[in-house]
Amino acid sequence: MVRWAERAALPVAVAATLATMAVVFYYPVGTVLAEAVLVAGRPTAGPILDVLTDPFYTGVAHHLFANPLGVPGGILDWIASGFSAVSVGLFGFTAYQAGLSTVASVALGLPGAYVLARFEFRGLRTLRSLTILPFVLPSIMVAVGFVAMFGRTGLLNDFLGLFGVGPVNVLFTLPAIIIAHAFYNAPLVTRLVTTAWESVDRRQVESARAMGASPFQAFRDVVVPTLLPALLTAAVLTFIFTFMSFPIVLALGGLELATVEVWIYARVQSLDMTEAAALATIETALSLGLTYLYLRYEARQRSASGAGRSLPRTALVSGWKTLKDPLRLALLGYGLVVTLVFVGPLLSLLIESVTTPNGEFTTAYYEFLFAQQAATAVGTTRPLPAIVNSLVFGAGSLLLAVPMGIVVAVVATRGGRGSRVGEALLSAPLAVSGVIVGLGLLQTAVFGTVLFGYRFTAAGPLAIVFAHAAAAYPFVTRNVAPALGSLNSRFRDAARSLGASRLRALIEIELPLIAAAVIAGAAFAFAISIGEFDSTVLLAEGLDSYTMPVALERYIGNRSLGPNLGPATAMGTVLLFITGLSFVAIDRLGGRWEP
Amino acid sequence: MERRTFFKTVGAGTVVALAGCSGSQTDDGTPTEGTGTETSTQQTSTSTSTESVPSGSLTVATYDSFTGDGSAGNYLKSQFESRYSDVTVEFTTPENGINQYIQRKQQGASIDADLFVGLNTGELVRADSELETSLFSQSLSDLERRDAINPQLEIDPDGRAVPYDTGYISLVYDEGNIEEPQTFDDLLKSEYDNALITQNAQQSDPGRAFLLWTIDAKGEDDYLDYWSKLQDNGVKILEDWQPAYNAYTNEEAPMVVSYSTDQVYYHGEGVDMSRHQIGFLNDQGYANPEAMARFADTDLPDLARRFMDFVLQPAQQAEIAVRNVQFPAVTDANLPEEFSQYAYEPPEAVTFGYERLQGNVDTWIDDWARQVVGY
Repeated sequence: MVRWAERAALPVAVAATLATMAVVFYYPVGTVLAEAVLVAGRPTAGPILDVLTDPFYTGVAHHLFANPLGVPGGILDWIASGFSAVSVGLFGFTAYQAGLSTVASVALGLPGAYVLARFEFRGLRTLRSLTILPFVLPSIMVAVGFVAMFGRTGLLNDFLGLFGVGPVNVLFTLPAIIIAHAFYNAPLVTRLVTTAWESVDRRQVESARAMGASPFQAFRDVVVPTLLPALLTAAVLTFIFTFMSFPIVLALGGLELATVEVWIYARVQSLDMTEAAALATIETALSLGLTYLYLRYEARQRSASGAGRSLPRTALVSGWKTLKDPLRLALLGYGLVVTLVFVGPLLSLLIESVTTPNGEFTTAYYEFLFAQQAATAVGTTRPLPAIVNSLVFGAGSLLLAVPMGIVVAVVATRGGRGSRVGEALLSAPLAVSGVIVGLGLLQTAVFGTVLFGYRFTAAGPLAIVFAHAAAAYPFVTRNVAPALGSLNSRFRDAARSLGASRLRALIEIELPLIAAAVIAGAAFAFAISIGEFDSTVLLAEGLDSYTMPVALERYIGNRSLGPNLGPATAMGTVLLFITGLSFVAIDRLGGRWEP
Repeated sequence: MERRTFFKTVGAGTVVALAGCSGSQTDDGTPTEGTGTETSTQQTSTSTSTESVPSGSLTVATYDSFTGDGSAGNYLKSQFESRYSDVTVEFTTPENGINQYIQRKQQGASIDADLFVGLNTGELVRADSELETSLFSQSLSDLERRDAINPQLEIDPDGRAVPYDTGYISLVYDEGNIEEPQTFDDLLKSEYDNALITQNAQQSDPGRAFLLWTIDAKGEDDYLDYWSKLQDNGVKILEDWQPAYNAYTNEEAPMVVSYSTDQVYYHGEGVDMSRHQIGFLNDQGYANPEAMARFADTDLPDLARRFMDFVLQPAQQAEIAVRNVQFPAVTDANLPEEFSQYAYEPPEAVTFGYERLQGNVDTWIDDWARQVVGY
């Protein structure tokens, strides 16, 4: 009986994952995107073609769809005209800024992984835990932090002014958006690559060296192949996220630098659902296509490796010698850049939360939070329930997303025909815009779905946890699948030949070996839940299920202390503080489970 | 509220999950196209005579900041409830505002609210163009206070949406940094290069109002040309009012598109008012009236009407104006001295009415946004 249950457990878990995804993701999103391909119930390519043939959206590429036969002639004309400037359209610009943002995020995140994986210093673990913080910060708070840090009268210019340099103006330019995107996504690069770097088996490097490889050759042949999949995963995710970036673009860049997502949101606002769906379908197809190409690459990279001890670390600081070592000086320079891009805006946000518009110290914004907590009026948003809800939903999402992510990783690494397509489709929550997911949930879960003459509605805490888990589990999969794939199958085969079920082999042999990847995925799942806004605000509507970002959003509109962002910055600081503590706790608790 | 909670136990939740899964496989039209059978019994209580003591729970749909501690909504709730002891007022604040109800009606889902508070002209136009039967029912001719309403603020030719307050869009500028621009053409001068921050008309109320104001001033055929010159002069178009005003507070530019009530928040001892000067271009401000309307599907139409009349009383109008930092919609509100001193009304109020926006506003905004982005 027990054995039977063990054997059935994995297929049941797969079915449960798919059922959950169908209800909280595929069906809701499907009802929205269907508008792009169905008009009055009949399939049509019209709305999508309308977008593709509109030079505003696709620039010079619209000829491809409007008049494919004329393309060769058009290219000849263009060459004849001396390669005149061509318009890339909204999609082209969106991809362009996403590409630049990806390069910036990798450049900023990779050295961080090197420091966190190869060095030893006080506070290493805590610093590692805190790298996730940018991930959970609402965009309006990033805008506040950036204006206070990089603005005309910001901290940076104050500092530069001391040396008679400046002022520098980066706000409302493309670089401002790219730096903000790096702020959000470089930590993703750092975290994913750090996990991979720590999984490099020391013995493999040592045996390569023993066989006469130079340190560089050993790095190239042993370390790089392990890091590359993680680095590319991070780069692909960064590209997709920044391709779909929305509020931060308008808050720090302005409408001139609008992305496709800005247009999707505007179409949804004016209830032009057909065009919104057409834009979102193309956006999703591009993101999923990229995901698919990446997964095919990753599958070919999976190399068998055993689990072993990770590489030895060196001390980051070693007395006076530190200041003479070129490597450590370069890392010091990197530390300054990190201080500027990450610590600067976060610190500025903290300063804003205790400063009046006139620049004087105040505790009024924190007193506001206490007053809200004590207020009895209906409709008051209280900080404490927001904190508790965020933590409960975060924990719930983690508990749900980790098994879902592992199950999908197991199926994905099993291989077979179409498994890459399947995995790409199961990664879809990463590739669909939050605006569209929110709209889908509104139409299906909140308004209800009619079945057998009954209208089923779903909202409230449980629905929020399911929605968060659906958004979060691909992060678990992306962390776990590469680790699982590179695990030497001998371990599993040995366990199974001794009579262990697939489930038992997974839980007792494989997962402990890749515990670091599982914990990394769990941390992401928690972070996604804490930071999620679009679905939460819809499903929490009319109920007391608001979370910290939702409370923060409501305080933005609160005018009781005048029209300033003070109360929101205070809540933002609380959000950062609570999240930071949680991640330190997750990493410490998770660390105990690591072998 | 009970109906909206997720099913109580995990087991039931799974049933819902499976049901949703099978629902996605039926393809004869979307399952959300309900036949509306549930709403057929809703007109039963209209027979309640106006003399009877009103009772019931009135659900008011509105925006976030209308409710909560110290808000206009909370004040109205407590006053209305103490006037009618058998009545309770509840608020619901959907994130996507009126769109929530337009979509509900389109999909045959129930409305779940009696009254909408916080409707503007563009939203009313959108609701009407999206729906075959009106989302709202006529109220104006039933209101005792109808004659007290400032006729300039009436936004609905059919008397469904009734204004309860208005804001005026204006410039807020720093007089220590720039001279007050007098006209729209002044904004094109070199002394105002990189000087103005406004908001994205696609998603921001003041941003939209400012765009409409330029269309009113420059005409339908020339506003795009005007905006291309504004862009050449370095206008910044940010996401919404908050980021824009935050950037202004941090001295990113000496002017921002905002509201003419700005000083209400900043007066007092030792406050530097030089950064809170109000500029009315062409001696105008663009009026953005906020209106309330009864849902056609309400089963408490009489109570909702009483609430509307109550909101329009002189005392409530003054209190709403102060708490919402907007101007009253009636001509006989008793505003406190201090409010009138710091809230400026433009010499001339302009606004596009229902007919002008109908069929035009989406095109105007889209043409403008496409030009700003410039592909």
